[in-house]
Amino acid sequence: MFLVSRRNRAEVGKAQYKVEGGKLIKVQLRNEAEKIEYVKITGDFFLHPEELIDELEKTLEGSEINEGVIAGQIKAFIKKHKAVLLGATPEDFAKCIVMAGEKSD
Amino acid sequence: MALDEAIAVARSKNLVPNTLRFFRWKPSAVSIGYFQGMDEEVDTAACDSKGIDYVRRRTGGGAVYHDRDGELTYSMFINLEHRLVSKDFQETYGTLCSGLVSGLRFLGIQAEFKPINDIVVGGKKVSGNAQTRGMNVVHQHGTVLLEVDPSLMFAVLKVPNEKIRDKLIKSVEERVTSLHGLLKREVSFDELKEALVKGFEASFKITLAQGALTEFEEQRAAELKTEKYARRGWNFKR
Repeated sequence: MFLVSRRNRAEVGKAQYKVEGGKLIKVQLRNEAEKIEYVKITGDFFLHPEELIDELEKTLEGSEINEGVIAGQIKAFIKKHKAVLLGATPEDFAKCIVMAGEKSD
Repeated sequence: MALDEAIAVARSKNLVPNTLRFFRWKPSAVSIGYFQGMDEEVDTAACDSKGIDYVRRRTGGGAVYHDRDGELTYSMFINLEHRLVSKDFQETYGTLCSGLVSGLRFLGIQAEFKPINDIVVGGKKVSGNAQTRGMNVVHQHGTVLLEVDPSLMFAVLKVPNEKIRDKLIKSVEERVTSLHGLLKREVSFDELKEALVKGFEASFKITLAQGALTEFEEQRAAELKTEKYARRGWNFKR
């Protein structure tokens, strides 16, 4: 008979970041060690095409929780999809994600 | 919101011309932006108890309380190739909002467009707008406030904690205005609509012709309401 001990699921860290002259970003994040396991980005910004938000969140899973790394990934994503982001920059998103990472686990 | 999407579809199929729609919310309702979470932004229990609807938009932007008697909403549906539309979203916000700015000025209000998507008077917001594109159509909709009731707003919009509610109410009183507040008189929906029509015509150098919804739009709106906008799966998606 085996006993399997399971690590408790990490807490979801939450953060909010108001972009100066822009919009409010809210992030919920769960990390596995130093990487994003789950991230949800909400807020009153504009992203077009809108449906890309789900794919963006999926793309960030597994990323190192580091502002430069995350901002770079978001920029690449936007370029790849010819997307438009208004009211926040990839750096703003990355900042809020890292803030949420500091609050999780 | 279902009707908005239905008109966008109709426009994309060239079943209707470029369209400007005016409407009121009946009953009063809260709409949230595409990227917002309903439970994060809206006190749905408070809305239920007050008979106030709540819905998620197909456009981004923030949570808005649409009072049945206090607000006029407009929606515009314009073909992507139209001269008023630029590839640049921000530029297009400015161009399309210029119709509202012009309309408000016909009422004697010194309105100005404030990027990204607001119209302000003396720095106070009187209109918010949101735009999306799809199926070769630009869909922009927004609000013009005739009256504002900050206490009711924050009875239905979530606040981080009770202590902050009064602060938020005060903040709205300082940052938001209405036609009644500016002109110190009642402005009827018809008067506002007439001014806005004049404003859009002057600013866009177009002539607007009164029309009616087509059977296609009514039918598609009914379907979209059932399949999407009345569904928890859509409204609570995020």
